[in-house]
Parts: sequence; C-alpha cells; structure tokens
Amino acid sequence: MSKEIIVSPADWEPLDIENDLREKIWSTQRTFAEDVWFRFSHKKSAFAGLLIILLLMLFAFVGPYLTPYSFDTQTLDFSNIPPLMEVTNVDDNLFYITANLKVIHVGNNGKLLAALPKLKEDTAQKIIYYDFNGRELPLSYQKKPAAILNHEGKRLRRDNKVWNTSYWLGTDGLGRDLLTRLMYGTKISLIVALIATFVNMTIGMIYGGISAFAGGSVDTVMMRIVDIISTVPLTLYVILIMVIMTDGFLSIIIALSSVYWVTMARVVRGQIYSLKENEFVYAAKTIGSSQSTILFRHLLPNAMGPILVTATMMIPSAIFMEAFLGFIGIGIAAPMASLGTMCNDSIQALRSNPYQLFFPSLMICIIMFAFNYVGDGLRDALDPKLKK
Amino acid sequence: MKLLEVKNLIKHFPVKNHKGQVVHAVDDVSFHINEGETLGLVGESGCGKSTCARTIIRIYDPTGGEIIFDGQNLATLSQRELKPIRKNMQMIFQDPYTSLNGRMTVRDIIAEPLIAHKIGNSQKERHEMVAQMLKQVGLNTEHGTRYAHEFSGGQRQRIGIARALILKPKLVICDEPISALDVSIQAQIINLLTEFQQKEKLTYLFIAHDLSVVEYISDHVGVMYLGKLVELSESKELYKNPLHPYTQGLLASIPALDIHAGKITDKAEMSGDLPSPISLPSGCRFCGRCPYAKKICAEAEPPMKEAAPGHMVACYLYS
Repeated sequence: MSKEIIVSPADWEPLDIENDLREKIWSTQRTFAEDVWFRFSHKKSAFAGLLIILLLMLFAFVGPYLTPYSFDTQTLDFSNIPPLMEVTNVDDNLFYITANLKVIHVGNNGKLLAALPKLKEDTAQKIIYYDFNGRELPLSYQKKPAAILNHEGKRLRRDNKVWNTSYWLGTDGLGRDLLTRLMYGTKISLIVALIATFVNMTIGMIYGGISAFAGGSVDTVMMRIVDIISTVPLTLYVILIMVIMTDGFLSIIIALSSVYWVTMARVVRGQIYSLKENEFVYAAKTIGSSQSTILFRHLLPNAMGPILVTATMMIPSAIFMEAFLGFIGIGIAAPMASLGTMCNDSIQALRSNPYQLFFPSLMICIIMFAFNYVGDGLRDALDPKLKK
Repeated sequence: MKLLEVKNLIKHFPVKNHKGQVVHAVDDVSFHINEGETLGLVGESGCGKSTCARTIIRIYDPTGGEIIFDGQNLATLSQRELKPIRKNMQMIFQDPYTSLNGRMTVRDIIAEPLIAHKIGNSQKERHEMVAQMLKQVGLNTEHGTRYAHEFSGGQRQRIGIARALILKPKLVICDEPISALDVSIQAQIINLLTEFQQKEKLTYLFIAHDLSVVEYISDHVGVMYLGKLVELSESKELYKNPLHPYTQGLLASIPALDIHAGKITDKAEMSGDLPSPISLPSGCRFCGRCPYAKKICAEAEPPMKEAAPGHMVACYLYS
C-alpha cells in the first residue's frame, strides 16, 4: 500500500533569500587549536608519544606519594637486591644470598622479610652460620657462588626464582628503592627540561623577535652576538657554569636556560623576518598600533607553530644534558635522585648489578623518544602546507 | 578643497649588493585629491602605484617630496607624530587573504584600530561598535567570533573595509581592493565602497589596474608608467580623449564586449614590456614602446603640461 504524499503548491514557491542566509558560514567553527589537535591526534606516533609523556608525568608526580619509600630511605641490609631474585628453598622457606654473603629471608610472595643475624663463622671451612628462628643455617662460600648447606652438608641450589615485591626494580648499593628513585629522577628531569625550555622559549622569542622586527644594524649586531655564543661548545659552557655555581637544582636550570635560547632566537628571527612583510603587519602599522602590539599580537602568534616545534625538540636535549651533567658528577646534589646520577651510581657495580644501569637509561630513552615523537607530530600538525 | 596633495613624491629603494643603484619605484609624482572625490590611479603591474600609496600612508618613508594631508606635511613627521593623523587616513589592502591576521577573531581585527586610538571606554562598548560596523558591511554580529580563514574572499575584503572605516577616516587609500576577488564579488565591493563614500563623505585614492572599474568609481584618473605620472585628467575626459600614447595603449587593451562599438580599438596598441626600473631609459620612459616616438623623446624627459583644460599629460606630442 503506497502512502500518499501531499505537497501543497506553496512548498514550491521560491524562498526569500535572506541576507542573513546568504552570509551564513555553513562550516562548523573550528579554531586553529582544534585544527592542530585533529591532525596531531590522527598521527599515531605523536599520539603515542603524548600518551607516554602523560604516563611519565603521572609516574613522576603522583608516583612518589604511592611508594612507602623516599628517595633517600636506606636499608643497608637490603643493598643490591635485584628485581628477580634467585632464591634457595629450605623447608619451604625462601632465602636470598647477597653478593656480600648475607642471607635474607624472603616471603613466598616475594617480600623481603629480614636479614638473618650471624651466629658464628668457620673461617677454615668457609662456612657462616646464620640464625633462623633458633635454627642454624650454614652458608658455605668455599665455592662460588655461595650456597646454603642442608642437614647432610650438601649445597642447595638456588633453583627458585621470585620477583622482588618489596622493591619492584630492586635496590641500589645503599639499599634505596630503585623505583622510588626513578620516580624522583624522572620528576627532576621533567621539571628541569620544562622550566629550561620555557625560559629558553621566552628569551629566544623576545630576543629573536626584537632582532628581526628592528631589522637593519640592530639585527646584524644581535645576530652576531648569537653567532659568537653558538660557537662556544654548549656542553663546555654548561659545565663551566656548573663549576662556578654550587651544584643543585637551581643552578642546573640556570645553566641550561642560559644556553639553549640561541637556537630559538634564530628560529624566531627567521619566522618574524618572513612574516613582517605580510599585509596584515602593514595594516597594523597604518592603523597606528604600537610596535609591541605588532610584535606580540601579530607577529609572534603567527610564528607560534615553528616556535612550539623547536621548543618540543629542545626538551629531549635538555633532558639529556641534565642526565649527562648528573652522570659526570656535577648535576643534582647527592641524596636527591636524577637519572644521570643514578646511572653514575650504578657504574661501579655494573658487572654484578646491571639492572641498576638499565632502568634509568631506559627511562632516559623513553622520555627522549616520547618528546621527539610529539615534536615530530606537532611539526606536521602545525605545518599549514599539509593542511587537508 | 584639497584634502591630499602630493608634491614631487619620490621613493627609491636601494638595490641589495649593488651600492649606488636604486629602484625608481616612484619618481616625481604630483597630484591632489579634493575632499569627497575619488582619484583613480592606474598602470601596469610594477609601475609604482602601490608603492605610491604605501609611501603616502607612510608604510615606506619617502625619499623626497611632500605629502600634504589636511594642511600638514606627512613626509617629515616621525611615526609617533603620525599616529593621530593615521586616524583620518586608512588603507584597504589588495589581498584579503594576507591582510587579515589569521590568529585573531574578526571582532579583534576590527576592534584593533579602536584600541590603538583609545576609542571606546570599555570592551563592551567597542564590541558594540564592531557589531554595528559588521552590519554596515553586510556581515552578522555572530561573524565577529569567527576567524578570518572561515570567510570567503569577498567577506574577508569586507572585513578589511570594516577595519579601515571604523575610525571614520577622511581619506581611504584603496590599494587594488578588488583585484584579488572574483568578478561577481568585485561589483559588490565597489558598490559597498561608493555607498560608504556617499554616506560618510569619504575621499578615496583608488588604485587598480582594471580600467573599467576605475572609470566607474573615479572623478579623476591618473595614469602611471614606470614610477611616473604620465597623464592626469577628469575621468570622463581621459576615457573619451586619451592623449598619452601609453594611456591609448592601455585603453586599447581592454577587450571590447561589443566588437561593433569600435570606440577604442582604433587606438594604438603597445608592444614590449616595462623596462627595468633600476636602469631607466634616457628621455621619456615610454620611448622604447611608443609608436610615435620622435628623436627628442630619447633625449629629454617630457614635462607635465596642460594639453587641454584640466587635462595634464607628459608627452612631446602635445607641446
């Protein structure tokens, strides 16, 4: 059964063309930021990078509140314990033997319970007797590796593997939790990098902006100064600054901030130089807007794309520089953890405890990868030539 | 009453890496515009029309000459001294795509002159003025919150006009305001400009290379060639009776819709290109392309002379 459609003749009358209708913009309103976000989030590597950065921030800033340890909590009994322990099973009790011949009682769930007190040592036989709940537990170190002996004096094999649930990433040479220190180290790295980048961005934008905007001989002189600064190897320069100042958080930031703006100044100058011949700048001039309005309202916002990309690309190098300073021993002062100092600490015991170097260096890699991918994605997202 | 008088305006640009050489962008140009009238300035690309306009409004500093606006010589004022004068002198730009800042909303763009000249006490008051201005150029108030890239070329140009006119200036310099637009939109913009002229008693310096548009809008027309003004006359007179061979050539190059009209097709046509504005030909600058060139043309530059009442021309044919 067909449905009858009734169309009144009035429906075929032409519509009045309203002026409002004619001038209507039919596209949905999408700001520049939304546009950038659209392109950025559709690039998988960039989005993954951003996600990793967010996770890292969560790890670094919320993490320290969730661990029972502080960055300087030392438990000397539990020094150099790896995350995956090879333990000896004695009558359903697990024991971990440390490199310096201590015996640690480990719970079945992988918790470190206590270091056993030493009863006596038989130097001739090379056996140390430990006290375990009134029971004597002999540890023979005649042959390497040291092993616990059973009733018949037979060496027991370390045949059980248990994850360390007290210290998920193990402990360092002073018995400090590596995970907690990694959190603090990441935090320091991120803060240093972000502040240094922000300061560099500000100095670079103002310096480069003024240089390009003023033009002429002012530009020449300002850029030659930049050239001179950039001929000094930046690493050397930072080290010299660090030598003069006391080692600490603030001086690292000052050292990094006073160096990297050179790149930013050049980028900004190039951008402003090409932008200032645009008609909207002339328009602002004929309107009578002040020089600072033209620079800060017209020129710099339009140069923001390359500035942001340069800034994001600067973060990994700042992080690496901070880690490097820590590694050569002029970074963050001693008890505080930074990724560089953690690497440095682990170098002495690298052979026996490689995990101590592995985790902080892995963290450096992850941070740098993430920021590089984000920077890459940002560059693509902000490049108007790729605009679809 | 003369609102703007330009006397012997010169603007030379130095050539990079060639010391002593200059681009003769504007060379010894003189004209005046009466209040409420429109002067059209025509010529080929690169003849110095836009440079002339930009020098008058002091985007560029003039190399020589006087720019007398409202009884004041602008040529010698500093940018700071110019600021109060800029209120009375605004410019509409050629390219509606680059003349609006893409990072600002339309409302901010149009409100910028108000902020620069401290007009309007509060942001609310300024927004109201902007809304009114938007309505006057045929846009809606809601368009104020949009960004320039969301608009069409014609709409953008109207935003540019709104920005120029919100200060209620006396003189508006229109630097090829329609040459970047579609033909269908050009009429719309021209009508808007004439409408404003009648309503606000505006004075226009209208620069274009489309001769028919200039004929329609202008009271007087000046023809520029290679930095020089070669002919200046009332609009009707110039189109009816072009004297300078270059003007004749320009008019001949307008494609006629009606081939039987034959009005302009019998005029001399031009060949060749503009010579380099760096190393100028001696004598008359048009000499090399002129079908009537005489010996004297290559020797000395012809002076501007009144060939007919109110019709100035720089050519030896009429002296």
